[in-house]
Amino acid sequence: MNATPTIVVGYDGSVDSAAALRWAACLSRAIGGRLRIVHAVGLLEHAGLLEDHVTVHRETSLGVAAEAGGDPERIEWSVVDGDPCSVLLRMTVPPESADLLVVGSRGSDAHEGSLLGSTSLELGERSTIPVTIVPSAREDKNPVPV
Amino acid sequence: MKLIVAGPTGTVEHDGGAFHPEQQARIFSVMDGIRALGLEDEVFYPPTPKAELSDLTRVHSAGYLTELEAFCAKGGGDIDPDTFARADSWNAARRAAGAGLAAIAALEEHADGVAFVPVRPPGHHAERDRAMGFCLLNNVAVAAASLTAKGDRVLIFDWDVHHGNGTQSIFWDDPNVLYVSTHQFPFFPGTGRAREIGGPKALGLTVNIPLPAGATGDVVRTAIDHVARPTIEEFSPEWVLVSCGFDAHQADPLGDLALSSGDFAELARMVNEFTPRPGRLALFLEGGYNQMALQMSVTDTLGALLGLHTHPTAPTYGGPGMNQIRVAIADRDRAMEHICTTMSSAKGER
Repeated sequence: MNATPTIVVGYDGSVDSAAALRWAACLSRAIGGRLRIVHAVGLLEHAGLLEDHVTVHRETSLGVAAEAGGDPERIEWSVVDGDPCSVLLRMTVPPESADLLVVGSRGSDAHEGSLLGSTSLELGERSTIPVTIVPSAREDKNPVPV
Repeated sequence: MKLIVAGPTGTVEHDGGAFHPEQQARIFSVMDGIRALGLEDEVFYPPTPKAELSDLTRVHSAGYLTELEAFCAKGGGDIDPDTFARADSWNAARRAAGAGLAAIAALEEHADGVAFVPVRPPGHHAERDRAMGFCLLNNVAVAAASLTAKGDRVLIFDWDVHHGNGTQSIFWDDPNVLYVSTHQFPFFPGTGRAREIGGPKALGLTVNIPLPAGATGDVVRTAIDHVARPTIEEFSPEWVLVSCGFDAHQADPLGDLALSSGDFAELARMVNEFTPRPGRLALFLEGGYNQMALQMSVTDTLGALLGLHTHPTAPTYGGPGMNQIRVAIADRDRAMEHICTTMSSAKGER
C-alpha cells in the first residue's frame, strides 16, 4: 500500500457514479488518503457525439467531492482515453498504483445480470486490488452491497 | 489480379440507430467505393457463412462467447458507452468473422487475388474476453489464428486511427504473428505505446507507431520504413492481413490524423510489398465514419492494389510527427533492452 493511500473512483456523470464519489470522498477524508476522480473518454465522447462533456463532469464531480467533505488539496481529476473498465484497471498498476477502486453499482450503460455492460461486475472479476462497489442511490433500485 | 470481396455483412443487422457512427450506411459507402472501380462482373464474391465456435475459440474465451450470445438473445443493450449489441448482433458478428475466413479460403483458391472484407461490426478492439470500441468479435484475429493453426506466419498491419488493443493482446505472446500498428496517440483506447513490444515468446513482434494528431501521410510512411520495415522483413510473413480502418482520413469525425484517400493508396502499395507472393493479402474493414471519405478511400486503396488508374487524391505532407519517429525507435529499443536484461537476470537467479 502507498504511504498515502490512493483511492481511484470512476465517474461517468451517472447518479450511481456520484454516489460512489461521495463514498470515496468520505473515505479519503477519514483515512487522509489521496482521491483521484477518473473519467474515461470513449470514441463517441471524443467525437462530441454524447451529451455529456468533460468540462461539465469535471465541475460536477469536484463539487460532489467537496460537498462530501473531500479535501480539495488531495483530490485530483483526470480524463483518460479508453473504455471505463480498461481505464480503471490501468489505474491499479504503476505509475498510479491505486490502493482501492471505487465504482457505482451500475453505470449509465449497464444491464442486469451480465458481466457485459457492467463495469462494476467486470472490475470485481478482473481487478487485482480491492474494489468497492457502492450501492445505487436511486429509489427504483434495490441496493445490494457487494 | 482478381478482387475478392468477402461480404458485405452488416447491411441490415446490428442496428445502433442513425445517431451511432458505426452504422449500416458505412457498408453501403464501401460498396459504392468498390463499384466505382468499374470492375463489375470481374469481382468474385465468395459465400460467407458464419464462423463456427471452433473458429472463434482460437481467439476468444468460451465464457465470453457464451456471455455474448446470451446477452444478444435477451435483446442486447449497451455494453459500454460506445459499444452496443442487439438481438441479431451475435449472428452479425459471427457473419463478419466468417467473412474473413471465407476471404482466406478464396485466396487459397485464387492464387492471384487480393481480398477485401467489408464487414461490420468491426473487430480490432475486441479482446479475448471482452467487447469494446464498437467491436464484438475480432475478425482479423479469427482469420490470422486460422492461418497460424496451420503453421503459417502472419503479419497483421493495422492502419486504423485507433490502436488495435484487442489484436495486440490476443497475439501478444504468439511468435507466429507480427502485429504492426500506426495510430494516433494519446487516444482511445489508451494502449499502443512504442514500448509495448510483445510477450516473452514474441519479443519484438508487436510494433507500435504512435502518431500525434495532425500527422500526415508522409509521416506514416516514414515511420513504417524506419520503425516497422526491418522487423517485417526479418519476420518474413507468409500472409499479410490488414486492419483497414479509414478513420485516419482527415475528414473523419472520430479521429484527428490528416490522411487523404491517396495516402491509403500509398499505404496499400507499401503493405503489398510485404506479401511473399500474390494471393496472400486480405484487407479487413475496421473504422471509417465519414461516408464520402470511406467511399473514396476504398476506391483508392483497392485501385492501387489492382493497378487501376482511379486518380486518387494527392498524398499529404508536412504534418507533425517526424520527431516522434525517433522517440518511438528509442522507446522500443529501451523496452527491448530492459526486458532482455530482466529475463537474463531471472535465468541467472534460477
